[in-house]
Amino acid sequence: MNDLGLLSDFSLFLKEKKEQGIKIIAFLAHDNIPEELLDAAGFFPLRLIFGGNDDLMNASHDYLPPSTCAFAQTCIGLFSIKPSQFQFLDLIDYFIISNHCVSDICASEIISKYNNIPRLNFYVPYINSKNSSHYYKLELSELKHKLEEIISKEIDDGSILNSIKKYNTFKKKILEVNSLEILGSLKLKIIQKAILFGPDFLSELENSLEQLRINPPKKDNNSKDVLMTGCSIFINDYLIDLIEEGGANIVFFDTWIGNHYYSQIIDDALINSIKDPLDIFIHKFRENKNSDHSVPNFLENKLTLIENFYRKYKQKTGKELGIINHVIKFCDHISLMSSYLKERLQKKGIKVLNLERDYSRANRGQLSTRIEAFLEMM
Amino acid sequence: MSLIADEIIRFSSVLKIAYNFLTGRTYLKRKKFREKQKLVAVALPFSDLPFAAGTIPVFPIRMHIFEINKYLSYLGSASSIFGWESVSRFLGFVKNLGIQEISKIIDDIIEDVIVTINKKYNEMYDIGIESGLSSDFCYGLKGLTGMHVTKGHNVDACFNATIRCSAYNKYLESLKAINSKPKQIWVDIPPRNIGNSLGLLTDSLSNALKDLENLTGKTVTDNQVRDFFKIGNQIKRSYKTIIYEISASDFYPCNPATFSEILSLLNITYQDYNSNATRYRDNMSSLVKEMKERIRKGIGMDVAKMPRILVTPIFGGWEPKSHEIIYELGGRALYADWEILKLLEEIDTSNHLNPLEEYARFLLNATETGIGCDNDTLTNSYLRMAKDLNADGLVFFQLFGCHSISNCYSMLREKIRHDLEIPTTSITFNKIGENVEQVKTRLGAFMEMF
Repeated sequence: MNDLGLLSDFSLFLKEKKEQGIKIIAFLAHDNIPEELLDAAGFFPLRLIFGGNDDLMNASHDYLPPSTCAFAQTCIGLFSIKPSQFQFLDLIDYFIISNHCVSDICASEIISKYNNIPRLNFYVPYINSKNSSHYYKLELSELKHKLEEIISKEIDDGSILNSIKKYNTFKKKILEVNSLEILGSLKLKIIQKAILFGPDFLSELENSLEQLRINPPKKDNNSKDVLMTGCSIFINDYLIDLIEEGGANIVFFDTWIGNHYYSQIIDDALINSIKDPLDIFIHKFRENKNSDHSVPNFLENKLTLIENFYRKYKQKTGKELGIINHVIKFCDHISLMSSYLKERLQKKGIKVLNLERDYSRANRGQLSTRIEAFLEMM
Repeated sequence: MSLIADEIIRFSSVLKIAYNFLTGRTYLKRKKFREKQKLVAVALPFSDLPFAAGTIPVFPIRMHIFEINKYLSYLGSASSIFGWESVSRFLGFVKNLGIQEISKIIDDIIEDVIVTINKKYNEMYDIGIESGLSSDFCYGLKGLTGMHVTKGHNVDACFNATIRCSAYNKYLESLKAINSKPKQIWVDIPPRNIGNSLGLLTDSLSNALKDLENLTGKTVTDNQVRDFFKIGNQIKRSYKTIIYEISASDFYPCNPATFSEILSLLNITYQDYNSNATRYRDNMSSLVKEMKERIRKGIGMDVAKMPRILVTPIFGGWEPKSHEIIYELGGRALYADWEILKLLEEIDTSNHLNPLEEYARFLLNATETGIGCDNDTLTNSYLRMAKDLNADGLVFFQLFGCHSISNCYSMLREKIRHDLEIPTTSITFNKIGENVEQVKTRLGAFMEMF
């Protein structure tokens, strides 16, 4: 999947933002960063959701050992090499150091330190409990305060509420993409672009949706359907091509770039009833039960979600649904739970492929073989 | 190894600590079945609250049967009649006689202790992988998983405190998938001390204490918690004395390899105080006395000219031959992981203070200024320790698969070059005994710098 066009468009888009005086805050994508708060403060939240290759991973080895998550390696590599299509990374004004996982911290810290990008700390508790929610609010208040210092004015509640509503509308629209019966790669492309550009992409997204409804592209009905869970398929990653070439179609993305993002829609009634807008983020944090960051119930929540989707899908279509658990090499969260996830789902008769890989091109052949073997088994 | 064995037997307290570690299974069985006490699995030095609640914390490897040298077993029995000091004195006397066969037996005893522990760690590592954990994880996690797969069903609860390492936190979550029976008691340590995070952690600790009370069926008073913390503080004091007063001095009560051996034994046993805090405190206090007494009498070794090499981190796994190699190359290896991570700080036990709040303060301090929630803080901790110990060099163990600590090396190297100007090297580690020759080569090249 070559996304040169997308990156070039995005580069222009960011330049325009800068020309408008909008500052950019980047972070390694994860589902607990309050992008609405950044937006309310007048910043553009830039999620680093780019897949890697050998060169990018190798470029990180001056800072981190090769036994680091391939995605974190890639993010560092992007800043070290800064390939031509990624020159827009020079436009970043601030970098959020967060702890989705420890590789997130290490990579973000290195990017910030060695590229002289001022850091903003935002640490998320691991346990989803009452006390953790309170702590999450402390971090939110800290971040809000830091942002206010930068912009030299208070971020008023109205602005935060407006941003929350804006993102809500946007996510609802992305959710509609998910329900389209189109090829997974097309779906993913739209979702990736939407998450990268943010709510500015809304009108284009609406147009795309309309076009796809009026004139849905042909889809191979003989393909085998799969649910993708685990790590995301990032922009520029060839994995989705391999899966489709193998004869499968991804019908549901249970990943950061996918359900984790657009499932975080907040009920309008709740938005109107809560006095302190920061409490809306708390609510979102509490409800974010599928986040791989949280313990101790991530596995149970994940199993419930997959099982429910599987049953409903089978009931609706009468088709078998396979599960591909995408494990980016050295990913702490997904890798550690992968054997338990597979074992539990298989006990219920659900077929699972734990697909572990990094971004090296040498893996392509092996990955194809594994995917094909899995699909044959289905 | 005989050099180390020769020396260790002079410290009855070391023999006791080693014996208590290896015979943990018998002790724990007695506690669980005869005395109906509750066993709580712990890892890393987070045993304070389970101890304070009257449960028996256990670092799970200790539930295993260790192949104890039969003579150590005899010594253990003899000690119950004559006392450990007499046994130690007797062994020292026998060694001094130079009777070859008996001397060899004594050497074997100590060598067996070390070999046995390492063998068991490697066995747990293999079981961890066999049970489905990816081989990409660090030695420590594989070992811990192996421990729970094999013996986790024996504990009544697991005390789980989250730290900065995401793999460790996920491993904690996996414990209920490994064994569904033990109760999982969680404490989420806030990554930073901001706002009222101290109050939030105090509340979390209070909830955890309630869970532990429910487990034992007994209520714990503030005074009981305080009393336990006092014992913990005494242990920490002794430990710090060994690190700062003795390991940093120019005269050691034994040869440096033995000294490092003792430090590594403390590093392992400090996690659960061998399941008996009072006994451990007494042994630690005796150890300090024995060391000081030997130094006072001039028994030991002048190490003034031997470079001090801070070897760290070791708690997640390291090559235990390192200190022997460093010694053979003319240096002395210092281990001080728990102090680096600020886990040897005392807890304020003043009567007017809430002991749980003080424990929360201790944990937050360790998290924020010791372990750190980022590598900047963590590397500063290594720097601080190297300065405090007046280290001449630093050897950093980069664990394969460690994404939390090992990842800080490039930053640490830079800071050391800039701030301390002492030599440093990193050694990659995967499994005990796997790369001893490589370790020798690396350390050989490193020690040439002195």
